[in-house]
Amino acid sequence: MKIIKKLLMQLILTIVSIILISGLPELIMNKNVSMYFNKIKDVCRDIFQMNQMTYFNQGKPRLFLDDIWSPYIYSLSILFGALLIAFCMAQLLTWVTLMLPMFIRGAIKNLLTFLESLPDLLVFALVQMGIVLIYKKTGVLVSNVASMGAEERIYIVPIVCLMILPFVYFYKMMILLAEEELSKQYVEMSLAKGMRRIYVLVVHVTRNTSEGIFHFSKSVLWFMISNLLLVEIIFNIHGITHYMYSDFRPEMLAACLILLVIPFFLLYALFEWVIVHFTKRGEWV
Amino acid sequence: MFPFGTDALGYDTGMKILEGAKFTLLSVLVIAFLRILFSFVLAIPLAFFVPDRIRRILDQLLSSFYFIPLTIIAVFLLTPVLWEQLRMPGWEEYFIYTFNQRIWLEVFILTILVIPLLGSTIGNILALILKEDFIVGAHILGASKWRIFIKHVIPHLLPKLVIVWCQQCVQLLIIFMHLGYFKLFFGGTDVDYNPLIPDPPVSLSNEWSGLIGDYYNLITVNPSIALGPIIMFGIAIYAFQLIGEGFQHHLQTRHYKRTNRNRVLEKQILGSKTKSSFDFVHKRGA
Repeated sequence: MKIIKKLLMQLILTIVSIILISGLPELIMNKNVSMYFNKIKDVCRDIFQMNQMTYFNQGKPRLFLDDIWSPYIYSLSILFGALLIAFCMAQLLTWVTLMLPMFIRGAIKNLLTFLESLPDLLVFALVQMGIVLIYKKTGVLVSNVASMGAEERIYIVPIVCLMILPFVYFYKMMILLAEEELSKQYVEMSLAKGMRRIYVLVVHVTRNTSEGIFHFSKSVLWFMISNLLLVEIIFNIHGITHYMYSDFRPEMLAACLILLVIPFFLLYALFEWVIVHFTKRGEWV
Repeated sequence: MFPFGTDALGYDTGMKILEGAKFTLLSVLVIAFLRILFSFVLAIPLAFFVPDRIRRILDQLLSSFYFIPLTIIAVFLLTPVLWEQLRMPGWEEYFIYTFNQRIWLEVFILTILVIPLLGSTIGNILALILKEDFIVGAHILGASKWRIFIKHVIPHLLPKLVIVWCQQCVQLLIIFMHLGYFKLFFGGTDVDYNPLIPDPPVSLSNEWSGLIGDYYNLITVNPSIALGPIIMFGIAIYAFQLIGEGFQHHLQTRHYKRTNRNRVLEKQILGSKTKSSFDFVHKRGA
């Protein structure tokens, strides 16, 4: 019960802060505080009556909710897909890496530091160029590098672009956390008892690091939502942030961000509940 | 002759990158410093005077900021500041703010956006230090809060702040890059509203994010033109990350002299990450 109250508070605070931020350009442009409050009132009215909200598409006003559902689902599937793939790959590779000898691990960590600092735009540009290069050399088009319009859906390229950096972040974080965990005494104890290293790693260490990874994944997600905007514009994908950017009014920003935030919020609430419920360590979560 | 190629107007891209480096890097350093400074000032009362329970609640509330994507908000807020506007009668191009105001507003917005999260992070680091045994000891011996802060907390906190500062620099570089892609350049975007053949939006100072915005579409012509500024960003990010990591390494091993025997010891320390039980931080030579 307590946790539900807390989560509800968080959700309300998120929405309130989004609304407050969305009014700010009015304040910046007109340097007038009362206009800012008027704008916030407008935004609030639009949010509460979202079924009547309109937006401008090629100069014509259209109903927001009629058009937004399918790009919304599309964007979500790209985001979730990328997050899931990045997480699973990182977890599998972490297990493999930790079975390797020390000096290889050191090399891998150095490599990861380098990969971590690749700017995301460079990754997108390299993926684009790579696909074109493969097409030129072999005549095989791996995937379309840009979608042609609202109807066409491409999945592979945006998911690959979005997952590369989160994968690197997860991978590095998992290795660091797991190495810290491996130096604890219970690991030595279980190894001395004759348990296989892989068993200790997969069952005990992973379970104990999962909480740290869970909290880390929030900041990864933060990064990914920002990247979604870039990916959708570079590859001309008609997802939710594309709609948002093409009509960049405060109401639109608030509505889109709230729609984008809610599913992730629910997902994280679920995970948090699971962790609190099953580890019985509510205070430290 | 021109390793990065030349742009549409015939300028050497490599020289432009060199010229812009000072603006980008300096602004990143300054904004990251301001972020740390303000968050630190905010974190002190949070750690010293706010009870644990309330701080934990505050922490959870602030974690809602994790769901507000920074780039989108920054693009949204900075568009009216940095984008040149058009006044309809007379086709007059103008900025709402003067050059100095624009720069200060951009610095202010980029600073204020992360302060809630960063403040609570630093507050937590501080609170963790305050829970250490030696603080309790000092307290029992009658040290005032001020003395505990200056003599015991600061020496432990400063190195950590340096690492946080490196991370903030990396984050800022990424944001500048994104802003550059959306053609919002540091110090203002000069937009040409000529109805016939408009020039592309131009950065006023050749700083890197401006170069990204100007050149990204040339990727189809010659990739090296578009990739040049982006690679520069990559190098800068890598450098900051290496600084942070090297500093961390130094902190963990600083009280061992580098001899052959100790090198083995050092490896053990790094491998096990166990701290030595006790030593005075502020009396160490390093």
